[in-house]
Parts: sequence; structure tokens; C-alpha cells
Amino acid sequence: MQIEPTQLDKAVLLKVIGRMDAESAPEFEQACERSIAQGARHLIAELSGLQYVSSMGLRSFLTVAQKLKSQNGSLSLCGLQGLPRQVFEMTKLIGLFPVYQSTDEAIAKL
Amino acid sequence: MDPGFRRLSLPASLNSLQAFLEFAHTGADAAGLAAADRDQLDLVLEELLVNVARYAYQPGAGDVELAYAVEAGKLLVQIVDKGRIFNPLEKEEPDLRGNLENLPVGGLGIFLFRHLVDSPSYRREQDCNIVSFRFPRPDLLGT
Repeated sequence: MQIEPTQLDKAVLLKVIGRMDAESAPEFEQACERSIAQGARHLIAELSGLQYVSSMGLRSFLTVAQKLKSQNGSLSLCGLQGLPRQVFEMTKLIGLFPVYQSTDEAIAKL
Repeated sequence: MDPGFRRLSLPASLNSLQAFLEFAHTGADAAGLAAADRDQLDLVLEELLVNVARYAYQPGAGDVELAYAVEAGKLLVQIVDKGRIFNPLEKEEPDLRGNLENLPVGGLGIFLFRHLVDSPSYRREQDCNIVSFRFPRPDLLGT
């Protein structure tokens, strides 16, 4: 899994590519933690390159979203497709996140 | 067990996961599964094997066996461990209707396993947990 962070005006964009499994999910959480520690309150995860996510990955998304919400921030999900979308929908967790087709849309809603 | 099953037994640990998935891919290829179905299979196996690695033998260690057979474009899969009794089909489903603040932390992996496979079953036999299922689920084929 690769994570490419980009600092935007009001948020940090994290482009996630590859497979988020039991082994790599903590890396996503750590990348988010770093952004939060540097002052970010809104994170946008761009997931069109995410091929796979398991329950450990779901837990990481939830942990980060809970943390941001407690600081009046948000974790938005963009470009969800394929198995990751299926997993978010099947567990109904998709309803707990702001979900957008594109990062532009997510940025416009901040 | 029926003949025709291929088996791989490795230490129950996160480090074994990749080897188990590669072993299962041989079966997925033989069954002619599409790429999307293979990812689903990886997910189900990860959830079950990580669960065994985390809980079955704690605080000790032990092995887990993955076995599969190909039958008419489907895989019959069996996961066997000698750890403490655990029936994933009896575990209560997590209540996912809450909001971010009060969501349950556990149970998501077992939930995904139960919803992504066909005919899951569990039995305890000779001190072994034996979880079996067919894959893919016909109604989820290629999704």
C-alpha cells in the first residue's frame, strides 16, 4: 500500500493506493495521525486506487474518523469502488462518512 | 475429508498470511475465479486466519491448516486449528446502526466472512475447530 499526502488549503488529501490489510492498515492510521499532529482537522482519503480493504482497514478508517470528529473535523472518502465500496456498503459503515465521487466535490463541501 | 483436497499447514501468525493467500490463489485459478472474486476470497481468508492467529492459541502458539478442493467452478474451503473452541457462526453480529461514537470495535471480520461465503459451517472434532464454506456465493459472483 502506498499513501501520498498533499497539503491543501483547508484539508490534507491522502491518496491511498493498493491493498489495506491487517499488515498495512496501521500505516494508514499513522499517516493520518501525522497529519492530525501537524494541525489538520479535515482529511480527504482518495480511494480510487484502493483495491482491497479488510476489517482491520475498516477499523483504521473508523478510528481516524472518531478522532477527527471529536475535534470537530472530518474524514471524507472519495472514489470508493470495487471491493472496498462493497465492504463499506455491506457493513453499512459507508453511512458514517461523508462520501464523494471526486476530491473536488469533497473540497467544495468543506 | 474427501480426497482431492490440497492442504497447507503453517504457524498461526500474521507472517503466514501471504503464503496462505498464494496457496489459495492456485485454487482460485483452478476454479476459474474472476479477479474480483479472488479479492473477496483473500478478504475472507484474511479475516479467518488473522482471527486464528490472534486468539486461537493465546498466550501460546500453534498451527493452522488451510485446505481447498475445486468443484464445478467453486472452491470448497476448510480452515482447521487446534486452539480454544471458537464458532464464528455463533458470534453475535455487531450492531452497525450506531454513530461513530458508539460503534462496536470487534466483530467486523466475522461479519464479512459470514456475508461473503456460501454455506458456512462449523464443527468441533478431535479438539479441532473446523470452519468450512463454499466460495463464491452465487448471488455475489463477480461483484
